[in-house]
Amino acid sequence: MIEEGKPLFLQIAEQIEDSILDGSLTEEAQAPSTNELAAFYRINPATAAKGVTMLTDKGVLYKRRGIGMFVAAGAKDILLGERRAAFAERYIDPLLAEARTLGLDASDLAALLSERAARTEGTPA
Amino acid sequence: MTAVIEVQDLTKTYKDKNALDRVTLSLEPGAIYGLLGRNGAGKTTLMSILTAQNFETSGTVRVFGEHPFENARVLNRTCFVRESQKYPDDATPRHAFAAARLFFPNWDQALADELIGEFQVPLKQRIKKLSRGQLSAVGVIIGLASRAEITFFDEPYLGLDAVARQIFYDRLLEDYAEHPRTVILSSHLIDEVANLIEKVIVIDDGRIILNEDTDAVRDRAVTVIGDAAKVDAWASGRDVLHRDALGNVASVTVLGRLSAAERAELADAGLDLAPVSLQQLVIRLSQKAGTPAETEEVR
Amino acid sequence: MRRIANVVRLQMINRQTFIWTPLIILVGATLLSVFVYAMIPVDTPKYGGAANAPLWYFLAIGIGAMTYTFPFSQALSITRREFFLGTMLTAVLASAFMGVLFLLGAGIEVATHGYGVNGYVFYLDWLWEAGPFGAFVVYFTLALGLFVLGFTGATIFKTWGLTVLTISWVVVALLLIGLVFLATRLGWWGGFWEGVMTLGALGLALWGLVVIAGLMGISFLAFRRATP
Repeated sequence: MIEEGKPLFLQIAEQIEDSILDGSLTEEAQAPSTNELAAFYRINPATAAKGVTMLTDKGVLYKRRGIGMFVAAGAKDILLGERRAAFAERYIDPLLAEARTLGLDASDLAALLSERAARTEGTPA
Repeated sequence: MTAVIEVQDLTKTYKDKNALDRVTLSLEPGAIYGLLGRNGAGKTTLMSILTAQNFETSGTVRVFGEHPFENARVLNRTCFVRESQKYPDDATPRHAFAAARLFFPNWDQALADELIGEFQVPLKQRIKKLSRGQLSAVGVIIGLASRAEITFFDEPYLGLDAVARQIFYDRLLEDYAEHPRTVILSSHLIDEVANLIEKVIVIDDGRIILNEDTDAVRDRAVTVIGDAAKVDAWASGRDVLHRDALGNVASVTVLGRLSAAERAELADAGLDLAPVSLQQLVIRLSQKAGTPAETEEVR
Repeated sequence: MRRIANVVRLQMINRQTFIWTPLIILVGATLLSVFVYAMIPVDTPKYGGAANAPLWYFLAIGIGAMTYTFPFSQALSITRREFFLGTMLTAVLASAFMGVLFLLGAGIEVATHGYGVNGYVFYLDWLWEAGPFGAFVVYFTLALGLFVLGFTGATIFKTWGLTVLTISWVVVALLLIGLVFLATRLGWWGGFWEGVMTLGALGLALWGLVVIAGLMGISFLAFRRATP
């Protein structure tokens, strides 16, 4: 779960973001507390707090005084926007690099893409 | 925030060797610090001096703003159980905990009782007859239950098996979350404690070679692997920590965070990237500090 | 103040060290002596030195206080001054306890005419010249003296090392030999023994207390720089 070579608080934040994106953590639902996160991942609570603070700064989480942290309305949209913007860099670029190594060009890739998409989505491209 | 421990140009000399060499540190309260380094690097010496169990040769030492020597006001807010702690002859763990209760103003007996159960410490057996693990457990329990505002743990895991170590880490985090205090934890098992510590302080040969937030250090280095010629070309001019080679393939660990463009460049060149764990980083930094950059050929 | 009292409590947590073991040693040595006396078919009063047995144990616990209990006190964040004063206070109390035991023992001996066999371990004439107070002070001083001797030796060893300790012993031995030599050459012995007789056991014990105070001073100086 925890990766090397990447700041821990970022990873915690990403885990929470993932849950929001896949729907397991809905908007206006209560997010796990700093102590709960720390206990679950077996990390320092201050690190967990940093991750939560980062999400709060982004507008993904907000605090209800006396109760805890909650997922903000529109959080999903914020995250989708972010991830989409980074999508090309995170996934497409490495894909192209590997394809190049294997001698596949853009049209080969496009064909592969359609074929796989059809399989997983069950609808023809 | 005022620093709770402040050390400036602290030097400790034994005969002709400097156990500590102009160490300067400033620690804020309420964090878990990792004090990492090799055997004999100076970790225990530093912690001993901070608790007046040992004496500095020169430099200033301030704990809670004052020098700790013979200073009950400062000392009764600290706790330092050493790695091979001595206990009164013929004492049992029960005696040791009863004694701790007398002197630590924040001692929590309920917590101590829980930990005694979890670590399975035999209360009525003579301490000198305990196994290494049970002996360590006694020290760890005293440190945890003391709730001392500054608690030092000196390689607390020695003799503890993996299960007991996990109990210690979990209980430390749990108690720290509910009752924040300043914890300084020295350890060799860097990867095990990497997720617990907020700050990394690396000491090598009596000198501080790293003192930063753990998260800032986590992506501080990267290992590039691939065709030796390409890797070496890319690595020239960079701060190389370590190089390994196997035939035509070289693996070079380099200090520096890579931008997205740089990563793409490497991917294009057919070179792989591997993350560097905190333990590897500390090891490489220590080696580098000690000797000129090493190269190893593995045939 | 409270912390010094707590150091006394710390030393007393294991009751064996300062209370039970010396008591057992004393009782054991006494019983052994009684058996031996019972076997001697003579009716004149028999005197033995069994009472010195627990005193050597005080030497051992003096050493132990420095070697084991001091490092532990450091882990408990006790200052050296608190530990030193608390430990010395404990030794004084324990020595007083021994003194009381000595008096009780003597009381038993007098009441039972030497356990019925006319054998004495506590009620030794020379010690009782100054009465029960004198006897108490003598035994108290011996116990405390041996404790402080052990503690001081261990402290010097820990702080300054084996070499310094050995040198100290050698110097003290040389001084004593030197004094004996001088005394013989200058014919001081007559006056010396007279003085001893005049002082009596109590007087010697009081001088002993002065020496002990001196030793305590030395050991505190070394102690301030001791590391666990």
